[in-house]
Amino acid sequence: MLRRTFLMLTTSLAMACAASQAHAACSPDYSGVTLTVATQTGPYIASALKLGADEWTKKTCGKVNVVEFPWSELYPKIVTSLTSSDATFDLVSFAPAWLPDFVPYLSEMPKDMQSGKDWDDIEPAYRERLMVWEGKIYSQSMDGDVHTYTYRTDLFSDPKEKDAFKAKYGYDLAPPKTWKQYLDIAEFFQRPDKGLWGTAEAFRRGGQQFWFFFSHAAAYTNNPNYPGAMFFDPETMDAQINNPGWVKGLEEYIRASKLGPPNALNFSFGEVNAAVAGGQVAESIGWGDTGVIAADPKQSKISGKVGSAVLPGSDEIWNAKTKKWDKFPAVLPAPFMAFGGWQVGVPNAGKNQKAAWDFVKTLTSPEVSGQAAITGGTGVNPYRKSHTANLELWSKIFSPAEAKEYLGAQAESINGKNVALDMRLPGYFSYTEVVEIELGKALAGQTTPQAALDAIAKEWNRLTDEFGRAKQLAAYRAAMGLPPKK
Amino acid sequence: MLRNDPIKHVFIWPAVLVVLAISIFPLIYSLTTSFLSYRLIPPIPPRVVWFGNYASLLQEPRFWNAILTTTLIAFIAVGLQYVIGFGVALALNARVPGERLFRVALLLPMLLAPVAVALVARMIFNPTMGPLNQLLSMFGLANLPFLTNGHWALACIIAVEIWQWTPFIILMMLAGLQTLPEDVYEAAELENASAWQQFWGITFPMMLPISGAVVFIRLIESYKIMDTVFVMTGGGPGVDTETLTLFAYQEGFKKFNLGYTSALSFLFLIAITIIGVTYLALLRPHLEKRR
Repeated sequence: MLRRTFLMLTTSLAMACAASQAHAACSPDYSGVTLTVATQTGPYIASALKLGADEWTKKTCGKVNVVEFPWSELYPKIVTSLTSSDATFDLVSFAPAWLPDFVPYLSEMPKDMQSGKDWDDIEPAYRERLMVWEGKIYSQSMDGDVHTYTYRTDLFSDPKEKDAFKAKYGYDLAPPKTWKQYLDIAEFFQRPDKGLWGTAEAFRRGGQQFWFFFSHAAAYTNNPNYPGAMFFDPETMDAQINNPGWVKGLEEYIRASKLGPPNALNFSFGEVNAAVAGGQVAESIGWGDTGVIAADPKQSKISGKVGSAVLPGSDEIWNAKTKKWDKFPAVLPAPFMAFGGWQVGVPNAGKNQKAAWDFVKTLTSPEVSGQAAITGGTGVNPYRKSHTANLELWSKIFSPAEAKEYLGAQAESINGKNVALDMRLPGYFSYTEVVEIELGKALAGQTTPQAALDAIAKEWNRLTDEFGRAKQLAAYRAAMGLPPKK
Repeated sequence: MLRNDPIKHVFIWPAVLVVLAISIFPLIYSLTTSFLSYRLIPPIPPRVVWFGNYASLLQEPRFWNAILTTTLIAFIAVGLQYVIGFGVALALNARVPGERLFRVALLLPMLLAPVAVALVARMIFNPTMGPLNQLLSMFGLANLPFLTNGHWALACIIAVEIWQWTPFIILMMLAGLQTLPEDVYEAAELENASAWQQFWGITFPMMLPISGAVVFIRLIESYKIMDTVFVMTGGGPGVDTETLTLFAYQEGFKKFNLGYTSALSFLFLIAITIIGVTYLALLRPHLEKRR
């Protein structure tokens, strides 16, 4: 009897020790908590969230359920959930452009997360601009997005190609400084009989098309002499999208569509990456994923031959105030922060807000996010200083020369003097829908660039009036980092 | 149970309430919303605009384009479905060898989810990686802009609609053909009527009621086309393949413009009703002639 009691006591003690050890491993302890995150269908971003979820589970014993929706369905799903104040999602991942629509339903980031080493490590373009709405932080960047230029180094360094290019165009073959040079290069390498085409960009409606067009137009419309006037006049909120700078951007975007693989009009960003990695094109523009995928020998035919640079620019930029072209002494690049990188936010209807913000902390920590950034297919591009500073990290996928160019292009773009911010406005989808429709018509040759842009401007002005011009102006100025209008 | 037995209320009223709750109330709510300027995003307080949404829609070229596109898809697809479906049903009814296998195989497309069919079609029509253009390339022919040119995209959607829904016509027409009396054909044989005369003088008139019903069902269903277009073209290029339901979806679930979308839904309902009533009015004399 005594023996049995002793055995039971020992067993109980051992179990208690084991339990306390398990609890000690959970710091902070969120065992029993399951967070639900809404995101787009993977692998892009969803796999990065899963990577973060695994780390968070190891650390806190909490669980994360990543719910995926097709890209085109994500916005409606999130809006429906937020506006009905249900607690379906503990976290939502979204585009910065949607932030103005979501702000009334999101909780503010805890103050303790808004300081410290990890906070300062976030690039200022995200920390001070894209994560901020009306002076408050409602979301955390989990991805950095800026359009850069990608090219095939084997073609660009080939002496025969270099000589032939110089003979034809009168200047050296090199990553382009202007969009004209970009189109010259595309034209030069347009060799359908050899399975090689000039460039690849997204042109399909619903296929991230309009960000590529914005990248072209940013060079001619993001004027440092009149900041924040790329999309709207920041004094009057009059649409600027039909000014001569935008027309020039659209003409060049249409020209690029004719220098791509057959039926490039059906390309979304996925097809752009496939064309680059398949060695079908000499150059391309797009997000950082292109470089990472093209460098991966498992996915790419041009691994080891991938070059990167900042987007081309212009030495003439339209001034929306003076309604004239401003001439600059040198070409001024205007790297476009297309999309602006995925962000995560915590709905204020959520039941596990504390745990949710703790997950955000783990997900976006330099270690976890750094690993995601170098993993092809996560869709995570550099958004922390540590991401671009750590060459060793990137040597796993790039050759030293490739890594240097890739990281240089990313850092130079994000920190560029004339970096162009993407449009962020309440009613974002209403504004971009008409852009997609009119771009489709212009690309198909059904309308002229000027007529297409006039139609967009007319609709943008109508929407602004419908939503309230003063309210939209205040929001636009906030999005462009301008002080409130007195 | 007597006619005046009060117990009848116990059985009737729950059903009436359910119908009111799930059918009439949303309809009235939606009708009320159609008279409002009401947006969820950006949140704007509802404001009564009476027929403002309807007037805007009727002046909107995109609305008329959606009507035209939907009508084109519905009429061309259903017309061809009927002709092909009737032809195949006649063949199957003639007891060709392997008829059972054909019957099962031909019905398969109808059993698939339209989204799945559209996804497969999108791959087939893919301009660069799709097998169709690769086949054309093998024969030295130029690649066709299947989904990037408005006319081609519309043709592709119609082709997919025909492929998927012709089996429904086959099924219904075959069922109808199998109920036709044998003796009429025997009498026609005795009169030395040719196969064409038998078809035109006996089969077609006798199949007219079922044909009318089948075409009516398919026509109304075709006007509701959404998933195929959404997956294959998203309404593009531009708005060349945008149908009424897709237009309503874009306004309602992308822009959350609820008042406008409700008005659009009611105009859609009116359009469908007009088409349905006109169709039945045109068909009625032919059906009455048979009585």
